[in-house]
Amino acid sequence: MAEEDKKVNRREFFFKTGVFTALGLAILAFFRNLLLYIFPARKEKTFHKYLVAHEKEFKKDKRPKQINIGKTPVFVVPYDDHYKVMSGICTHLGCIVKWEQDKDRFFCPCHKGEFDRMGNVIGGPPPRPLDEFKVVVENHKVYVYVEDKVRSPWA
Amino acid sequence: MDTVKAQQWLIGIFSILLIVTLIIVAGVEMKKSRSFKPEIEIDDMSAKCITCHEKKGIAVKQIDAWKESKHAVSGTGCYECHEAAKDDFDAFTCTGSDILIGRHPTPKDCAKCHEQQVAEFADSKHAHQFWLLKNADRAVFENPIATRHGCEQCHNIGNIWPDGSVGECDVCHAKHSFSKSVARQPETCGECHMGPDHPQIEIYLESKHGNIFKAKSAHWDMNYTSKQGEPIPLEVPVCTTCHMEANETQPLTHNVSARLAWESQMTWSFRTVWNEEELGNWQKKRERMEAICSSCHAPDFYKTYLLTADLVNLQYNEIRRQFVYWTKKLTKNGKISRLEVNGKFYSDPVLNGWDEDPEHLMYYGWHHEGRRFRMGAEMMGADFTQWHGIWEVQEDLMEVIKWAAEHGDTEAKKIAESKHPAKFITYALYDMPGNAWGIPTKTNTTPFVYNNYPDYWDRVYKNVEAAYQRGLLSDEQWQIWLDRYENKEYYLGSKFSNSPVVDSTFNVYKKRNEYDLKKMKEQVIDLVLPGKSFFKGRKF
Amino acid sequence: MKFKEWLLERFPIDYEKFVEFNEKIFIKEPIPTHMKKWLFVMGATPLIIFGFQVLTGLFLTFYFMPSPEMAYESIRHITEDVRMGYWIRGLHRWGANLMIISLLLHMTRVFFTHAYRKPRELNWIIGVILFFLTMTISFTGYSLTYNQLSYWATTVGTNMIKEVPLIGDLMLFFLRGGDVVNTNTLTRFYTLHVMILPGIIFFFIFLHIVILRLHGVSIPEGFEEKYYSFYPHHFYKIIIATLFLLTLMSTLTVVLPPGIGIPADPSVTPTHIKPEWYFFPTYRFLKMVSLHVGIYATAAFVLVFTFWPFIEPLLSKEKRKQTIFSRTAGVLTLIITLILTIWETIVI
Repeated sequence: MAEEDKKVNRREFFFKTGVFTALGLAILAFFRNLLLYIFPARKEKTFHKYLVAHEKEFKKDKRPKQINIGKTPVFVVPYDDHYKVMSGICTHLGCIVKWEQDKDRFFCPCHKGEFDRMGNVIGGPPPRPLDEFKVVVENHKVYVYVEDKVRSPWA
Repeated sequence: MDTVKAQQWLIGIFSILLIVTLIIVAGVEMKKSRSFKPEIEIDDMSAKCITCHEKKGIAVKQIDAWKESKHAVSGTGCYECHEAAKDDFDAFTCTGSDILIGRHPTPKDCAKCHEQQVAEFADSKHAHQFWLLKNADRAVFENPIATRHGCEQCHNIGNIWPDGSVGECDVCHAKHSFSKSVARQPETCGECHMGPDHPQIEIYLESKHGNIFKAKSAHWDMNYTSKQGEPIPLEVPVCTTCHMEANETQPLTHNVSARLAWESQMTWSFRTVWNEEELGNWQKKRERMEAICSSCHAPDFYKTYLLTADLVNLQYNEIRRQFVYWTKKLTKNGKISRLEVNGKFYSDPVLNGWDEDPEHLMYYGWHHEGRRFRMGAEMMGADFTQWHGIWEVQEDLMEVIKWAAEHGDTEAKKIAESKHPAKFITYALYDMPGNAWGIPTKTNTTPFVYNNYPDYWDRVYKNVEAAYQRGLLSDEQWQIWLDRYENKEYYLGSKFSNSPVVDSTFNVYKKRNEYDLKKMKEQVIDLVLPGKSFFKGRKF
Repeated sequence: MKFKEWLLERFPIDYEKFVEFNEKIFIKEPIPTHMKKWLFVMGATPLIIFGFQVLTGLFLTFYFMPSPEMAYESIRHITEDVRMGYWIRGLHRWGANLMIISLLLHMTRVFFTHAYRKPRELNWIIGVILFFLTMTISFTGYSLTYNQLSYWATTVGTNMIKEVPLIGDLMLFFLRGGDVVNTNTLTRFYTLHVMILPGIIFFFIFLHIVILRLHGVSIPEGFEEKYYSFYPHHFYKIIIATLFLLTLMSTLTVVLPPGIGIPADPSVTPTHIKPEWYFFPTYRFLKMVSLHVGIYATAAFVLVFTFWPFIEPLLSKEKRKQTIFSRTAGVLTLIITLILTIWETIVI
């Protein structure tokens, strides 16, 4: 008798566990979908090429060229046979740096930060080198990669 | 149903059902109903231009057009194209600013970034302004003001600018959106390639390619990037597909002369020798075109098709020969004369002349119907080959002969007064057994020349062979022709013309035709109306 | 159990009484055996759906923007861009439809099982109030989508309020937040839909259930007076109903997703405007008679409907069974409502 009871109890046990596992999973699935809704999907960033200079602009004069990408000032610096494109925003507190040809440096007037031609800090409070853009040269034209943004009310 | 156990079963079942549903829900995505345009980063210089232009309300929609373009996204703003040096031919200071601007960005400016395309274009016949300069109708026949918006508007595509560059890039991809889909639109080419003297757009729209294009192109993305090694993404070609764009084997080129084997616009059709050093001979150019055909069609089909079109070009030459013969003869005999002042001639017996019928007809026979005849055959425009083509060419030739006969030329008189059916074919013939469309059975039983000259095909053979030996047909083409010649009973269908099964079908239609004619006669031909004509003395 | 003691020191309730109370009203509550029939689940169903509506509605407020410029676009964003957005929105939309259907079924069931008889007349009235509150909250919710159909349905619908004697104009002015439908209107409807009406409905639901529990579930004619305890049997029934409803609403969302329509254009009225289907009977009826007759007739019907538990005994002495009079009135109401609804559905 006890054996049978045990058997019945075990069967009942599995049955009950099965049912409540199913119920638990259903509730979990429900909450999973709810959570996905609350947390907006992080879209992978895509990039497009943006023309910043023609190689022949630097044939005679190796001076860094300053242009604006939208509102961001940017410097195109030739070195050896390559190019570095750096943000003109000082890494200290965000002022705009100036290129000083006679002193061969970028100089930030706010707190006297100094960067060399390659953007490395050579003096003053800036904590790190000037931010770099990814550069690609095609057909004698210098491009940087700029993030794709769409004109929409949603980020 | 009432026990707790039953309830638990139900919970289990519905839970599983819910899990399945939620998994499906997680996988489903709703279709997007709108897409957003990319954000444009506008550099300082362009921002200056845009602000001022918007404030003054000058050409503001061009700014919107620019924003749609790939130039805008990739950082090519106003100044990149419009910048000018002080001594540029078109430099001026923009009103209310100190910015020096070039009014006419030329291909030299475009070449700053698009060197390859500008170079390819400059090597093509699009850059050949020659026809605006030499012996142009506009020099004598049309008054100058008319040609400003006329000849010059289209032929300006080959303009030679003061800075030495050639061409007008925005003719096809219009400024300032420089849209690829506009460049691909057949009607863009058709802005110039249309009309009685070179109706390419009309021919295209008559063709099967053009018809399917009209039916389905609304759903196609015409903005795609053409890359060598990738298949053509359109169901049927548009103009640029065959004449410029890439497929699995061919690269994209802005040189429209790279794939053309004939000069079909000329007074005589001859195998093109344009820029052979870079583009190769006409066979190489034909190979490039065939490589595009092969994306969709079997070689057997397109090679036969192109060979037929080639023979049409050669046939045209023989008719042309007649026109030249007559106008030269009439000029020599003083029946027609050239325009001339102070010893300098302004018309040419083999080119143009606007005041005497033979000259006029010779010109039309080349420049209008002669071109339609050839171009229709090349681009699948059946009606342009036939009714707007050879029919009118023949009429022109017959008119020339009649005019010559009326003005005393005995040879012409003999032809004009002849009652022999061969009077319309006063020139050598090319031909090919059969066509590219299939095997006919009855159609080749009717031509007069087939039935009355047992040596017809031998004579045609000799002509085609001569053209081949002259280098006007390739080895492969001669082989194709020979195969057709040696199996002419098959390709002409004469093998099947009188078989019982064909005859029985034909008789059905013959009977119906006879019935049609009989009824036509009964209904209307034999009708005599009671009311008489108002013109006295007539029977009717 | 140190934590329990810690808590009771700071939250000094009588723990035994608390447990006993809970057991009495939840676990051990006696449910009459007729409730084992699925027909009687129509009471719990609207409650479950209400819970889902509050939940999904709350989630929708994470992305919805109640301004005329952004209302449509934010709903498009939820439906097309946000992960699971279409599902939440679909649940909310189908939940609203199923809510009204289940309420109609519930009212029909209550009516024909004579459950509104003395002493439960007040609960019937509260139920009727809840029904009209539900119609109102559905109306305000529908107007938030701000597409052509909903915008114009709202304009036409609110115009009806003007016809209320004395205070009609003032009510309309308050509802619109101005003389014409404008930005204020959308924001007010939003506040009504999200805060005010749910609060009021919650209060009335609470009352409804409390009164029900105080009386005990009414036993319909012909059933024994036997009971079983709430837990586990009835509790499981509610769980099954919840699972089923959630599955049903999700499936409906996938198979028949609510569209977004075309954005509202205040300058262009579409050729065919219709309110939501649950307003079809009234809409059709008002089109059949003159406006004043229609409004007063509808008002009269509503009053009779609301106070029926008091009216019925005046017409008949029968205390226990539902009168033939009542049955006829009920059947007639059902048939006429059905006919009017179907008629309005078919007609363009």
